Amino acid sequence: MSDLLWTVGPPFILLNGVVILITYLTLLERKFAARLQSRVGPYRVGHPHGWLQPIADALKLMLKEDIVPAAADRGVYNLAPIVFLVPAFLMYAAIPFAPGLGLADLEIGILFVLAVSSLEVIGLFMCGWGSNNKYALLSAMRAVNQIISYEVPFILLALVPVVLAGSLRLADIVDAQAGLWYAFYPVLGWLTFASFVIVSLASENRIPFDIVEAESELVAGFRVEYSGMKFALIQLAEFTHLFGVACLATLLFLGGWRPATGALGPVVFLLKALALFVLIIWVRWSFIRIRVDQILTLSWKLFLPVSLGLLLAAAVWVVVARGGSGG
Amino acid sequence: MADAAARSVIELGYGGNERLVMNMGPQHPSAHGVFRMILTLEGETIVAVDPIIGYLHRCHEKLGETLTYVQYPSIASKTDYVSAMTAELCYVRAAEVVGQIEVPKRAQYLRVLAAELQRVASHCLWLGTWCMDMGGALGGGATLFLYCFRERETILDLFEALTGARLLYGFHQIGGTRYDLPAGWDATCRETVAQVEERLDEYEALLEGNPIFLVRAQGVGVISPELAQEVGVSGPLLRGSGIAHDIRRAEPYSSYEDFAFDVPVEAAGDCYARYRVRMVEFRQSIRIVRQVLDGLPQGPISSRPGVKSVAQVKLPKGEAYARVESARGEVGIYLVSEGATKPYRMKWRGASFSNLAVAGLILPGHKVADAVAILGSIDPVFGEVDR
Amino acid sequence: MVGTALTMVRATASAMRVTLRNLLRKPVTVHYPDVTRPYPDRFRGVLALTYDPETGEENCIGCRLCEYICPPQVIQVQMLKAEKRNYAKIFYLELYACEFCELCVQVCPTDAIIMLKTFDLAVDDRRELLLDKDRLHALGRQFPASWATGTGLRAMQAPPKKGGEKGAAAGDAGG
Repeated sequence: MSDLLWTVGPPFILLNGVVILITYLTLLERKFAARLQSRVGPYRVGHPHGWLQPIADALKLMLKEDIVPAAADRGVYNLAPIVFLVPAFLMYAAIPFAPGLGLADLEIGILFVLAVSSLEVIGLFMCGWGSNNKYALLSAMRAVNQIISYEVPFILLALVPVVLAGSLRLADIVDAQAGLWYAFYPVLGWLTFASFVIVSLASENRIPFDIVEAESELVAGFRVEYSGMKFALIQLAEFTHLFGVACLATLLFLGGWRPATGALGPVVFLLKALALFVLIIWVRWSFIRIRVDQILTLSWKLFLPVSLGLLLAAAVWVVVARGGSGG
Repeated sequence: MADAAARSVIELGYGGNERLVMNMGPQHPSAHGVFRMILTLEGETIVAVDPIIGYLHRCHEKLGETLTYVQYPSIASKTDYVSAMTAELCYVRAAEVVGQIEVPKRAQYLRVLAAELQRVASHCLWLGTWCMDMGGALGGGATLFLYCFRERETILDLFEALTGARLLYGFHQIGGTRYDLPAGWDATCRETVAQVEERLDEYEALLEGNPIFLVRAQGVGVISPELAQEVGVSGPLLRGSGIAHDIRRAEPYSSYEDFAFDVPVEAAGDCYARYRVRMVEFRQSIRIVRQVLDGLPQGPISSRPGVKSVAQVKLPKGEAYARVESARGEVGIYLVSEGATKPYRMKWRGASFSNLAVAGLILPGHKVADAVAILGSIDPVFGEVDR
Repeated sequence: MVGTALTMVRATASAMRVTLRNLLRKPVTVHYPDVTRPYPDRFRGVLALTYDPETGEENCIGCRLCEYICPPQVIQVQMLKAEKRNYAKIFYLELYACEFCELCVQVCPTDAIIMLKTFDLAVDDRRELLLDKDRLHALGRQFPASWATGTGLRAMQAPPKKGGEKGAAAGDAGG
């Protein structure tokens, strides 16, 4: 019995914790965006300051009618939000929040996280396909195009800390930042961290790279045919993935839970991830979007060579500066 | 032709390229009003445009024939509702030319004050909506939109203190203006324009030198000077294409010759040039406002007695065309009077109507995403287009 | 290459600095309806009919000038003749079609019709916005009046007689 509890309990707690955290992150985004724009944001629901707004939104979406287009491919259409959502949650399984406090401490941690986060693309495309809507499909194709173009530099840049630390295990990468966080390594660290943030914005379809949602000004985005709880699941998945990438960046570049140890570890970790998340929101509400051809040009002509170069530089540095140490 | 094209969804063009006919509007989030464009696309590129207007037609020219000279100025503001002061000004000027009615100096200065403040407010709205079109309703565009509207609201507060209304004023009447400045308005006005000028620096910091913005605006939507003159565009579109024509300079009206201001001209003819022209116009308008406040003479605000009845103004027989430089360009009224209390015929020349005509000619060849940027830089107001 | 990267960094920093500055400013939101903005003196709000403050009599003499001047023709008046002065027998004002242009206030010879410093008269049924004479008088008692009256507006617009006293008044009127 206690065996069962031990197997089911931690994932249950993690999953619910993540969902609640992400739900309140939407409130954070709305309040932060509002303050940037000289206004107040959600205020009355859960007066003051809108503490109950996310709950109200969730309830509203649950009560909405679930409309399935008549000509939609029902199986794909219904499954798509789930396929979109599950990899986002799965990412959190391999992320350690403190030394020893992670659901699964994998030897190939980062490989698992990167692989699973790439599965999102399938869910996105299923949304566009299952809707049986020409414009949703076009938009989904463009989104897939953009995300896949940015996956390559994303992975290459994520490998730089791996090379520097000499291990695929996420806890080892954090421990290797005991002296100096990788984000602050001169030139190599700054460039890698900055590029990683920009590339992850692009692979998340966030402004300034959200031409996919800009389609909705003229036609419609890939999620146009979704309403009610399915729409909520898609939104949840996007936010979860975004925060997951922020957590990953914290582990890889910002020293994870360091310098705190013990009980303060997860707190410090979450604070750092939140700070990165706030930076992402700040960027979103400060810039207009880039045109689609420019987005793809940037990916293939700028970020790919840059990430290759940085990976090479990291490898050279490891060999030269440390005499090729590390396993 | 338009309907037939709209009914067929895909036609095969030359080279076997699939051409997609897409309908944009009349309701779309690109917040310019009711405008319908039927775009023929090849991939991402626009190949043909069929613009359709008329969704906001409210029979202004007929109203001009049925309402008297006393009643119509309040209605005139509803054509270009974003730049209402200049619309009213145009009508009363036309009537004053026909009737050879003198306007006292103070009233002329007040008219200039209202027109220039209105220009600042209108350009605030233009900048906000243009950035929102380019940047998305959720994103940096919305941020700039809210900043611009925050500034616009302060100017509308000024108008509210002056006339009692925020958008459609009824400020002008034949012979002068209807309201005089309340006590303390002078000081509030100076504070407000000082604050707007400061905030303009912030907007420029958000946009200038930002490669994202420059890529969206430079080289996009080029209007050559020949095309501009052929189609008959006016205002910032004309000045952004290198032609230095501003009615306030060319045919000064309402004491504009008393004020010193620069007329910005840019040669490139693209969206960025029009943006620069309007940003300079912001500051020049504020400059004029300050000059008016400094030099405002005492005196009556109307050369005719206060309005007491609906048939008070009777103009002699005659006809006149009066034009003003509104925020959008040349707004004109051609008035034909047969000696009655109402015009025999009143024709509006809407600035946005002629400006919008150029959209159909310059859009082909651009990407779909550029269409909204170009429309935004043309700055149409459909009350003026459809009247 | 480095040049463009530097411009990008500078542009990013300047944009984010502007948004940061606005983050630290007080929001401009007015928490309506808990807080209301003060109405300016000349606010053109809902219309109302007035009484003479000294005698308590209705000001309206049923002359129908407001009915004739109203551009959307929302006013309907019928005169009631009496010995000393006339009254309005009926006075309907269709507030849902009113343009709030203040022309009726402008022409009223007795300052009977005025506008109030209020605008929020939201109703469930549009017929409640068809204001009859009693309703108009009740509104006039309920809300503060704006500055504008017929005589006030006409005095502000009238050109000065010789001596210029009216001119001085025109320059200072209102506030």
